Amino acid sequence: MLSREPQPGDMMNAQVIRLLSGVSVHGDQHLAEVERDLVQMDLLLSEAIKKLCASFLAIHRAVDLQQETLKGILSAEQPAPDQAARLEALREEIGQHVGAAVTGLQFQDMTSQLIGRMVQHLAGLRDVFGELGTNGSTALPESGSVEMLDRLNHISDRVGARCSELAGAVRSTVNQRHMESGDIELF
Amino acid sequence: MTKTILAVDDSGSLRQMLSFSLKAAGYGVIEAVDGEDGLNKARQQTVDLVLTDQNMPGMDGLSLIRALRAMKNYKTVPILMLTTESGDDMKAMGRAAGANGWLVKPFDPARLAEVVKKLIG
Repeated sequence: MLSREPQPGDMMNAQVIRLLSGVSVHGDQHLAEVERDLVQMDLLLSEAIKKLCASFLAIHRAVDLQQETLKGILSAEQPAPDQAARLEALREEIGQHVGAAVTGLQFQDMTSQLIGRMVQHLAGLRDVFGELGTNGSTALPESGSVEMLDRLNHISDRVGARCSELAGAVRSTVNQRHMESGDIELF
Repeated sequence: MTKTILAVDDSGSLRQMLSFSLKAAGYGVIEAVDGEDGLNKARQQTVDLVLTDQNMPGMDGLSLIRALRAMKNYKTVPILMLTTESGDDMKAMGRAAGANGWLVKPFDPARLAEVVKKLIG
């Protein structure tokens, strides 16, 4: 069997492989950290919203009961007109704050969708780094500049295709940039 | 008689806020966690109005609307989409599927109650 003579570009190829492998490993490590943090953030937000909603509902119940009690006391004691008006004004003020809180408490529905989308993109990026590594499905040749260029082109095409796949599959569903109530359209 | 609304959303906090707001406005509320669950609950009891999210695991809102509109007792029941989606193409799809209206999240409870009142009293 004939063995191939070492070529001048072989050492360069080996260096390129080593560098790409380093980029792959370290890039993947960074992305794995970001992914873990995002998952943890999603868990924390999920836990926080449960507590906020429970507290909100409990406070609302208590305020309702307090208002009813005050109304009862005032009606039994012939209140001054300004006391009744003050109580009514407070009831309206509380109603406005409750409405604003209900709108604000919907944040987690949007943040969890955004986090889910980020996690999917990160998974796609990790696939891309996987392609660059020595364990990728398109391993780089250790010799031959033409073969190396062919393989790098192939990797570049796969990375491009993966980005297109992701762009199609991970459509943005949340475009809100504020927490004001959204538009209403009746057909 | 109290009118009943079916609220379909995979987000627990959103369902809680919907239920709270609609009950405060005097309506009865049945909650469903996704399109499939919503369809099952709609089969068990004909409700007066359906309020559904679009993006849910399994059956999405548009598929739910199409399935409901195929049922004899849901031909004319008002169905509102309540979603983060605000694109005209999605709204057109909702309209074609049989939705009566499109509400973009987050919702304001007073405005939601007004819309519901306009549709079912």
